[in-house]
Amino acid sequence: MAIHEKTLIDPDRILQHDHLVVDGVDVSGSWNTMITPRTLTDYEENFEKIIQSYSGGENVHRCWQCGSCTNSCTMYAQNVDFNPRYWIYLIRLGLKAELMKDKDIIWQCVSCNKCTNICPKDVRPEGVMKATAHWMEDNGLTPKTLSTHFDEEFTHQCIEFGRIEDTEVMMGFYKRSNQPLVQAWIVEFGKRLSKGLPLGQLAKMGMNVVFRPKTKSWGKTGEVLAEYVKAQKEAAHHG
Amino acid sequence: MSAQDTVLVVGAGPAGLSAAATIASMGKKAVIVEREDILGGAPIISGYAKLVPSGEWAKDAIGRMVSRVEGDGNVAIHKSTKVTMLEGEVGNFMATLSNGEKVEAGSIVLGTGFTHFDSINKPEWGFGTYEDVLTTTQMEQMVGTGQITCPSDGRVPERVAILLCVGSRDRQIGREWCSKICCTVSTNLAMEIKEISPSTDVFIYYMDIRTFGLYEDKFYWKSQEEYKTKFVKARIAEVTKSPDGRLLVKGEDTLVKRPIVIPMDIVVHAIGMDPNALNPEIAKTFGIGLEKHGFIDRAEQYTNSQGTTRKGIYVCGAATGPEDIDTSIAQGQSAGSRAVADLFGQQKVAS
Repeated sequence: MAIHEKTLIDPDRILQHDHLVVDGVDVSGSWNTMITPRTLTDYEENFEKIIQSYSGGENVHRCWQCGSCTNSCTMYAQNVDFNPRYWIYLIRLGLKAELMKDKDIIWQCVSCNKCTNICPKDVRPEGVMKATAHWMEDNGLTPKTLSTHFDEEFTHQCIEFGRIEDTEVMMGFYKRSNQPLVQAWIVEFGKRLSKGLPLGQLAKMGMNVVFRPKTKSWGKTGEVLAEYVKAQKEAAHHG
Repeated sequence: MSAQDTVLVVGAGPAGLSAAATIASMGKKAVIVEREDILGGAPIISGYAKLVPSGEWAKDAIGRMVSRVEGDGNVAIHKSTKVTMLEGEVGNFMATLSNGEKVEAGSIVLGTGFTHFDSINKPEWGFGTYEDVLTTTQMEQMVGTGQITCPSDGRVPERVAILLCVGSRDRQIGREWCSKICCTVSTNLAMEIKEISPSTDVFIYYMDIRTFGLYEDKFYWKSQEEYKTKFVKARIAEVTKSPDGRLLVKGEDTLVKRPIVIPMDIVVHAIGMDPNALNPEIAKTFGIGLEKHGFIDRAEQYTNSQGTTRKGIYVCGAATGPEDIDTSIAQGQSAGSRAVADLFGQQKVAS
């Protein structure tokens, strides 16, 4: 296939010696440029199924590559590397390594849903983007998002205590996501709270942080819940 | 005329005309009921240019089919007329027409055709907004005039874009079928445009090219190789207008993975074939079923190919789904023969 543009070649496939003399002829720099072939050697058949197991990815198999999604895409207008049509193709064939070259921008989908509204096959590309981002996160290919950190802390407290404690949720969230515990808004919150001095409320909040009360007769409920959530997740993505 | 020697033919397009001629050639009477005030169906009413694959002008080719039945003593014709009520059963139908007349017939052939997709239902592609956005039927009419010009200001277009699958293969608007003929019609149209206006370049924007069977080299390859039609694999997202008055087609060229914004002078929608808009009424009047897309449903496929879901009523042409003219004519002959066999009580159908 003809090379349309040099920018389409991955940099690591371009071989070039800055100084090279062959048979007494100086062929330094671009005179000796070689390109290693980009041969695809296999498909990962189950990859499409894995993406389909994530919410939003169910219809990815319907795609026939018309490009309507990319055409209409808000992000594509900003960056032509953001190409849902191309990613859906890679997902369908299980060309994971190719897909991973764009792993740092797939999450950028803004969920405007223009693609989903225009798609003639009802692939719901916006959902596929979401499913792919979740799969990457689950597999540690991309860092956890802030919302995932929040979800995890929230779920942890629910399972542990049968209830949440707002202060603990915020602290846990900031810890998990490596953010400073002293936030400007918390300082402001404290200042305003101290003006009104709601002593009873402050005392109650303090007690809850220290003693961490559980929901009445919580017992083993948390363990059972955790077990169930884990089983559901495994059934969805590996079943 | 009695029920035992008469077949009622509804619709006088290529399929219905073919059925009527077949019935008459077997010495039976055909009574044609046509809703429009002229015979010939879509190719005549919509003013098609040269037909695929013969290359003959529609008014000549279909005109010949019309004069064949008009000159046949075994064929009676009711124009601007509909069937309003049907009583009886196979061997002894009694149809009441909108002009008050009654027709006795032993069997019935429906050649009730299709309705062209209305491009207004895809507003992002500019039809109804820009004068220079046309449908294939409008472009065929322009070819018929022998001049290719932009409707907005009469200039000769430098570039014409034909967008395929407008109103076909699109879940968003509930058209989950391929209209079968638009790819071939479009490649044919591209050649006609180039023939009339050699300075005009034609681009066809496609998802797939489905010039089936022998149409592959006669139309697809020929338009590409001899008429220099350019094929671009892109489904256009929208058609807009640039400040200089030309149209802009926007989309992604999927083969080069690049966005495109290309100036065009005329954009043509290759419109698909919808079920006849009157099919619900037709189904009710004749007591027959429609299939899931809204076309007329067929009986058992292999022993009663042209049968409807009601005994003694047959269907042919684009009434059953998107169909080309040649096949519609063949189906008309087939339905006509089956209908005549009913007059003798000769049908053997697997149930």
